[in-house]
Amino acid sequence: MGEVLSGLATGFGVALMPFNLMLVLLGCFAGTLIGALPGLGPINGVAILLPIAYGLGFPAESALILLAGIYYGAEYGGRISSILLNVPGDSGAVMTTLDGHPMAIKGEAGRALSLSAVASFIGGTIAVVLMSLFGPLLAQFAVTFSPANYVALMVFAFASLASLVGKSTVKTLLGALIGLMLATIGIDSNTGVARYTFGLPDILAGIDFLIIVVGLFGMAELLHLVEQQVSGKLKTLPVDRSFVRWADMAKTKWTILRCSLIGFFIGVLPGTGASVASAVAYGTEKRVAGPEGQRTFGTGDVRGLAAPEAANNAAAGGAMVPMLTLGIPGSGTTAILLGALLMFNIQPGPLLFTQQPEIAWGLVASMYIGNIALLIINLPLVGLFARMLTIPQHYLTPLIAILAFVGIYSIVGNPFDLFMITCLGIFGWFLRKMDFSLAPVILGFVLGGLFEGNLRRALSISGGDWMILIENWKSVLLYALAVLVVALPIWMGRRARYMAEGDA
Amino acid sequence: MADRIFAGILLLVTLAYSYIAFAIIKAPFQYDPLGPESWPRILSVVALLCIVGILWKPDTDSLNVAGRTWFRLGAMVALLFAYAELYEPLGFIVSTTLFGAVVARMLGATWVRSALFGVAAGVLGWLLCVELLDLNLPESEWLAEFNSDNEGAN
Repeated sequence: MGEVLSGLATGFGVALMPFNLMLVLLGCFAGTLIGALPGLGPINGVAILLPIAYGLGFPAESALILLAGIYYGAEYGGRISSILLNVPGDSGAVMTTLDGHPMAIKGEAGRALSLSAVASFIGGTIAVVLMSLFGPLLAQFAVTFSPANYVALMVFAFASLASLVGKSTVKTLLGALIGLMLATIGIDSNTGVARYTFGLPDILAGIDFLIIVVGLFGMAELLHLVEQQVSGKLKTLPVDRSFVRWADMAKTKWTILRCSLIGFFIGVLPGTGASVASAVAYGTEKRVAGPEGQRTFGTGDVRGLAAPEAANNAAAGGAMVPMLTLGIPGSGTTAILLGALLMFNIQPGPLLFTQQPEIAWGLVASMYIGNIALLIINLPLVGLFARMLTIPQHYLTPLIAILAFVGIYSIVGNPFDLFMITCLGIFGWFLRKMDFSLAPVILGFVLGGLFEGNLRRALSISGGDWMILIENWKSVLLYALAVLVVALPIWMGRRARYMAEGDA
Repeated sequence: MADRIFAGILLLVTLAYSYIAFAIIKAPFQYDPLGPESWPRILSVVALLCIVGILWKPDTDSLNVAGRTWFRLGAMVALLFAYAELYEPLGFIVSTTLFGAVVARMLGATWVRSALFGVAAGVLGWLLCVELLDLNLPESEWLAEFNSDNEGAN
């Protein structure tokens, strides 16, 4: 406990420096704006802005604070377009449309926006508190991990990813494999042998992480926007001046609390993020509300609005825990943040909290501040963000391309990279059209080196004996959990079908 | 059907990938039990199994993209390549102005507004990114000449 407090003190010392404080506010503001724009979510926002943040040449902790602010802000802002336009900013905000938009249609947009802001705040804050308590504990536990344990952890990460994300397990797995295969391009660090470089000097060191991220997320998103563009204009509903009502708070307090915890723990699971968390939270609350809830959920029930909002912000915090303590990202966006850490030559993992406390704790402290800042920014400025939603798509789309080009070019100054991101964007667009989700690809790409490295190290230790992978109880436990995450949803699906048949 | 075509292309790429893993990548001598070729071999085998799974049971029938949208997507890609091609020769301001204006016009803005948007994106973008944030962007040749003239005059 004392360790946590002294860590937090260090962290606040870093986060409250005027420059970093300014970056938190800037990141939160920009993030909310990105999240609010229909179609753009945390993952695209962070992907497009990451190269720019890197190119600015800030110290690592400042750049990370900025990026985390954008991530958090975008998770917050997603609800604005969900409520006002019925168009979720990203997959984590999909459930918010169900009850948020009906409220806005009834003329209660202000009430919905302010209640969801408070729910997001509570969800986010609970997650950060849990993170500061459990993060260091998990890190202490993880220090004892051997390479073989890490291999088991990776298997667990990919198993939970495959079973929880996307429509088809095979496609999710294949997506992760594409990422892993992309990660093998370049010189093998163990032996110095070139793999898949075809003699091209541009990719001898591997394909740059930023190019993959901006191409697959930024440029693919741009093509998606072009495709989705409808000539009919989206209409935003008017925002009234209503504020948070105590009656709503009283009605939703247990919902918010429950969903924050659900969101946090789902966020911690490697590979799953805000979209799974908000869906599970919404379903749970609907069941808790009973027969009366079956009727009111989906028609503008405040509980149905508060549940996904508390959960998706809590998941955003939860996803940071494995990223910081194990070096295994909990979601697509944290995979990008993990890549950002590596770009700054910071090795995330169990030693981060002890060896680079200013980075780990500075980030945690900035999230406390960011949450408060977001609440303060969001309540009075929601009208401003609502007006931003009306930025026509024909200006937004070229703007994304311009930002992506600026970010990528400003780092190396190589026009070859601009062609690479465009080609990857086309590939990413096709993947999306085929119902592949892109998060597994990036997760595979980021974890590829780590996965292979640990496997090779484990086998070097054992002299080539594969039994080392299952010799330790931690590994066995992780493999058992991996089997469980894959088997449980299948079993539950079977049971639900069996029950439904029984009813009929 | 679309699924099968896409999986077919992935299959070809993966076969090429596994051919390289099995036949070409070799360490000069054995360093550790798992050489540089083993991991790509494992990956390619699992990936081939997944692709066969998709070919066996595809779930996306068609891409559902209208002919006009295909045209627009194609135009967008062409514009992006043109933008990338002209980025250095024309410099950030001119290439961005052109790109911004043409894309905005293509996506439905009026000529006047597209032009204004393009100029604003180019000039404000330059001021913000280069003058304020100190990022590295390509200067157009005439601006470079202008700057060197100025410096010469000083």
